[in-house]
Amino acid sequence: MTKLIVARLLFMGPAALLIVTFLFALFHLIPGDPAVMLAGDNAPRAVVDSIRQAYGFDQPLHVQYWRYVTKVLQGDLGISNYTRDPVIDSVFPRIVNTAQLAILSMLFAMTVSLLLGCISAMYWNRPLDKIVTVVSLLGICTPVFVSGLLAIYFFSIYLGWLPISGMSSWRHFILPVITLGALQAAMLTRMVRSCMVDALGKDYITTARAKGASEFLVVFKHALRNALLPIITLFGLGLGHTLGGSVVTETIFNWPGLGRLMVNSILTRDLPITQGAIFFFSMIFILVNLVVDLIYAWVDPRIRYD
Amino acid sequence: MDFLRRYRRDKVGAYFGAILLLLYGVALTAQWITPADPMAINLNEVFAPPSWRHWLGADQFGRDILSRVILATQVTVKITSAACIFAVLTGVTIGMFAGYRGGWVESAAMRATDMLLIFPIIMLAIVVVVVAGPTETGVIIALGLAQAPQFIRIARGVTLSVKEELYVEAAIAAGAGRAHILAHHIWPNISTPIIVQATLTLPVLVLNASALSYLGLGVQPPTPEWGQMLNEAKDHLITAPHLIVGPAAALVVFVLSANLVGDAVQETLNPKLKKQK
Repeated sequence: MTKLIVARLLFMGPAALLIVTFLFALFHLIPGDPAVMLAGDNAPRAVVDSIRQAYGFDQPLHVQYWRYVTKVLQGDLGISNYTRDPVIDSVFPRIVNTAQLAILSMLFAMTVSLLLGCISAMYWNRPLDKIVTVVSLLGICTPVFVSGLLAIYFFSIYLGWLPISGMSSWRHFILPVITLGALQAAMLTRMVRSCMVDALGKDYITTARAKGASEFLVVFKHALRNALLPIITLFGLGLGHTLGGSVVTETIFNWPGLGRLMVNSILTRDLPITQGAIFFFSMIFILVNLVVDLIYAWVDPRIRYD
Repeated sequence: MDFLRRYRRDKVGAYFGAILLLLYGVALTAQWITPADPMAINLNEVFAPPSWRHWLGADQFGRDILSRVILATQVTVKITSAACIFAVLTGVTIGMFAGYRGGWVESAAMRATDMLLIFPIIMLAIVVVVVAGPTETGVIIALGLAQAPQFIRIARGVTLSVKEELYVEAAIAAGAGRAHILAHHIWPNISTPIIVQATLTLPVLVLNASALSYLGLGVQPPTPEWGQMLNEAKDHLITAPHLIVGPAAALVVFVLSANLVGDAVQETLNPKLKKQK
């Protein structure tokens, strides 16, 4: 296990370097003079020149690259084109907000999908199962920006129960968390159902029933424990999807998270902020992936001892 | 023909297949069937509610929403088809070459693919849009590149298993070149799983294309797109909630049909799946 953890942690180094290399490449991939881009379109010549010197855009590529990598390693991702604040200061508080949204949504999705998936599998091919299947299919086909707008209209405007945007009280969390969580729940319910249907068809289930175990025990002890392995992987993948979905959800509900910061920075052509957001999003994805792998190895001894 | 005969046995697939065909028909003929000019601004009819004149009402510029939804269908079909072709071409080329060549080329390509697969597709697409720009071509490249890793993996997997076959060895012995073998002996085996993956990819492409334009990173106004129309509708949710009905319904019906057709195609081409259900 320790060997696995160390191996996977070592993988993070090259991965991070690859991402920083890509961020550096962005300076030159985006059409236009990078120094002008960083200074702003109407900046005076002196400012453009000082930025060109600071980043070394007048130097050969490898010198620029080295300068950029060392700066990033020291935690310096540049300053925002608009606020002139260091990127790190604008990005860090946003990560916490996105994490809150994503984790709560994922908890909601996990609870709902486990419950509905098990119920669906218990009533396999009966009306209740059919209803759950159709509802989850509709859920998968409804993007967050449709369900989110409908939820805002119904609960915030028509009924006036919940606030439309922001995150200043617990009531602000309800709509974004449920909107984002419901989409995940819909995807996961289908998969939990098929895992459970699979498990319930096994011989040990027949044995358990023959022993006289109650239906509750059969489903939640015998079947669920064995179906848990694929389900854990699915939940891990789900967390990645939730983080991806958070970009759109944050935009709908004006949630001050990393996703909205990234989208706004692209729209306002604030490259340093875009780079910072991409960097931290990437690190989060790699970390989530790592944790999922480790949990998987921890749960499944076959992987651990290989 | 055999495929169609077997596909038709799947009632749900056939029904939604018809709806999807209808939507593609709407997309192909959009210029001729819009009841009004989708771009014509009419300030006398701003936020006009649904009526016989405007079935779905009019938007903040008094433009006919139904006509805009119809034109947006064309925009979506154009972008997603092009992105799908782009993803298949890049994915299959890289995957087949990597699988057939082996060695360090393969491990480098697969490491990169594994790493890209960690990221959600919408994230990859957003990052490509930063470089390619929020234009129609930019969005096609972004969505295509974001989907390519899936095709790389499939193409490489099949290539790996096929390249050991006797008929490939025979072709090599007969003096066939690498390109000939890839095109005539490997590709025929890959086409079926790739077609399945392409149909399964279609709804994902539609969702991500509209998500990009909802974020303002997709097709730019005044060209209509469902996601972008919904984004504009959000600002008028209190005064004119009917603005969301048309684009939302079109989007959900399209994605739903594409999903069910994808499932049906997969089951038709791979009957083993059906038994497991």
